[in-house]
Amino acid sequence: MDENAVNYDADAEVADNATCTYEPFEKTQMLTNICDNYIIPAYTNFNEKNIALSNSASGFSSNPTVDAFEALKQTWKDALLSWQQVCFLDFGPAAFVILNNQVNIYPVGTDKINNNINLGVYNLDLADNNDAKGFQALDYLLHQPGMTDEDHVTYFMSNANAMTYLTDVIDNINYWSNYILTEWTGSYKDSFKSNSTSESNAQGSSISNLVNGLCYHYESIIRKGKVGLPLGAFNGFSQQEMPDRVECYYHQESLPFLVESINAMNKYINGASYNTGENGLGLDNYMDHVGATQNSNSLSSVINSQIDEIIEKVGQLNDPLSNEIIVNKPAVNEAYSALQQLVPYMKADMMSALGVIVTYQDNDGD
Amino acid sequence: MTEIKKWLHKLTFSNKSIAPLVVFRILFGIMMFLSTLRFILNGWVYDLYIQPSYFFTYLGFDWVKPFDLYGISLLFGLLLLSTLFIALGFFYRISSIVFFICFTYIELIDKTNYLNHYYFISLVSFLLMFLPANKACSLDTYLGFTSKQEKVQAWSINILKFQMAVVYIFAGLSKLNYDWLIEAQPLRNWLKHQTDLPLIGDLMQYEFTAYLFSWAGALFDLFIVFILINNRFRIYGYAMVIIFHGLTAVMFPIGVFPYVMIVSTLIFFSTDFHKNIVAWIQGRISLKSKNTNKGQINSPILPKRSTGIILSIYISIQLLLPLRYLAYPGDLFWTEQGYRFSWRVMLIEKAGYAQFFIHHPENGMKKRIDNKEYLTPQQEKMMSTQPDMILQFAHHLRDEYSDTVIVEANGVEINIKEPKVTAEVYVSLFNKGSRLFIDPEVNLSKINRGFHHKDWILKNEK
Repeated sequence: MDENAVNYDADAEVADNATCTYEPFEKTQMLTNICDNYIIPAYTNFNEKNIALSNSASGFSSNPTVDAFEALKQTWKDALLSWQQVCFLDFGPAAFVILNNQVNIYPVGTDKINNNINLGVYNLDLADNNDAKGFQALDYLLHQPGMTDEDHVTYFMSNANAMTYLTDVIDNINYWSNYILTEWTGSYKDSFKSNSTSESNAQGSSISNLVNGLCYHYESIIRKGKVGLPLGAFNGFSQQEMPDRVECYYHQESLPFLVESINAMNKYINGASYNTGENGLGLDNYMDHVGATQNSNSLSSVINSQIDEIIEKVGQLNDPLSNEIIVNKPAVNEAYSALQQLVPYMKADMMSALGVIVTYQDNDGD
Repeated sequence: MTEIKKWLHKLTFSNKSIAPLVVFRILFGIMMFLSTLRFILNGWVYDLYIQPSYFFTYLGFDWVKPFDLYGISLLFGLLLLSTLFIALGFFYRISSIVFFICFTYIELIDKTNYLNHYYFISLVSFLLMFLPANKACSLDTYLGFTSKQEKVQAWSINILKFQMAVVYIFAGLSKLNYDWLIEAQPLRNWLKHQTDLPLIGDLMQYEFTAYLFSWAGALFDLFIVFILINNRFRIYGYAMVIIFHGLTAVMFPIGVFPYVMIVSTLIFFSTDFHKNIVAWIQGRISLKSKNTNKGQINSPILPKRSTGIILSIYISIQLLLPLRYLAYPGDLFWTEQGYRFSWRVMLIEKAGYAQFFIHHPENGMKKRIDNKEYLTPQQEKMMSTQPDMILQFAHHLRDEYSDTVIVEANGVEINIKEPKVTAEVYVSLFNKGSRLFIDPEVNLSKINRGFHHKDWILKNEK
């Protein structure tokens, strides 16, 4: 390593007039940093928050009081926030089991939930029950319309099936958070860190997986799912708002989850440590390394300021988002435009800069 | 006769040993067999020809369809069989025709999959249909289906050399541009992803390496043919061929192309070299042919004059087609007008993002199109940066929405006759940043496809 550094210095003087600065860039170092300092700690936290959720659920079920119920709601919220920090790791083990569909699909199937509870017989592993489980099922169960906390406590006390369903749903989330952490801390971690040596950043390499997963999740689940769909941007010609499509429709609080996902994505792109926020080697450095620009600014800074703009525009909105898209549509439109503008920056500029290829097919660069 | 005329006459009609042609036939057949087998085993028949619901056909070839799973499988089956028959020289004439038709038909299905090396294979197989490559060392002669022949007219070997020369020299000429030579793009970017390569990985982070590779690549393409035709330097030239194509094979996902070129350039080797190979093959196969029908060059099917005219037409087309881009205004890499079929390989790094809109016939409302509903990721990627494909997809959307009545989720009924289709497309060339690519206001459904200049492409604001 040191020898290389010395060699590099000698050659760097030759290339001194170059427009870009030339620091040696080790992809494996970046992957190691992202893995050890973001992905594993974030999944660890996700799992811990779900264990806490599970504990408060047992607390509530053995002693159903309003206090225990409020504690349960708080741990639910914490766990869902921790999901926002890992949701865009949409590749590898998470993509294999389509983790997003296992834990956070909406709109939630309330009829299906009530049906399952009434029957008392259900199989949460079936894909058909994906919209009857996960955090959004809890959103509904813990915030049923027109019911106070006391009403909820009474409901769960008087309905054993509902209480069982509640804990089953939480157990199911727990199963997945444990599964994903085990996969990552097990074999996947090492293959992720090392699997970058295939031809360029072709499909199957870690960088391609990471970037494809990030771009897909941002475009489809965050931009479209969290804002675009409820706003009606994808609802045909009339673009009629679809307020019930917001995340956490029943909790009537969606924005903290959106903001959390964007902030976490920002950290992840910049290679920041999950726990300390300390900056490390990330996709931003990689983009700088290849000298990617956008309107003569560095692409990494353009992406960072676009994310700042998203945070600023979303910051001007008020919860419940389902109401805001009706009464304050122009502001939501602005936030959506800011979210939309990031898509070409990521899908065209970033993917191109990082040499990420979308398919296995041969390519001769035209 | 002037000297040039004499020289051309000699290049065309002098008698040459058939050996180079025979070796070329055998190696081509084997390469195509492996390449087709690889394609099938990778599952690409399904991914490329069954899975997509829409195909970007070439202008004038809209009738080319992939059929169903059985149809396309049959095509690939015939293709695979014909490669073996070509290598063995078994029913050679029919096999080469079958190969050319099947291969070209498959390539014409979807321009998403256009690769220069597929075009090269189409051209070579087109030529092979007319060449007497089965007149020695083949099952056809062994079984007595055709007469043996030791000599062929020189054009049948030289046309293959010409084809190789066209590939290399035009590839070299296309590199003589500002981006490649002065900015070392796109290698400047691409090489930086290669720092993990064994041995040479460390070199890839330096700008110097990008310039070295760019300039060396351009010089290689421009001059390799001249080195290969020279008896004295040929062996060094071939070493360069192996190094150059070997490097590209390691660094870029370009499939079998490097190997096809490494094998095909053997055509430049001496007659003796090829005779030795033929003798070696015949030594392995101890079977003695019963066919004693051994002849001079069969009286040519065509008189010399016709052969000359047909060859000059083919050669002219090959020389002019790559230059057609000169007829279009604007930056070639940005507009890609006249880009295909011109041996521009690994020249640009381009990425795009396209959002299409269908407009409400009366009010200003527009519906966003999700490209994923119609296109595979690869199709979407290729379409987003290529204007003719953007137009085709817009027309496809127009056809999908023409004369339809749409009932929206809120019960509103919309009657569409001739939909207006627009697109907001952002393209980034050489990682300079994505910018608006085409006029976002233009109604693409009203624009005709064709070879005329696409004036709705915006300027590449640098």
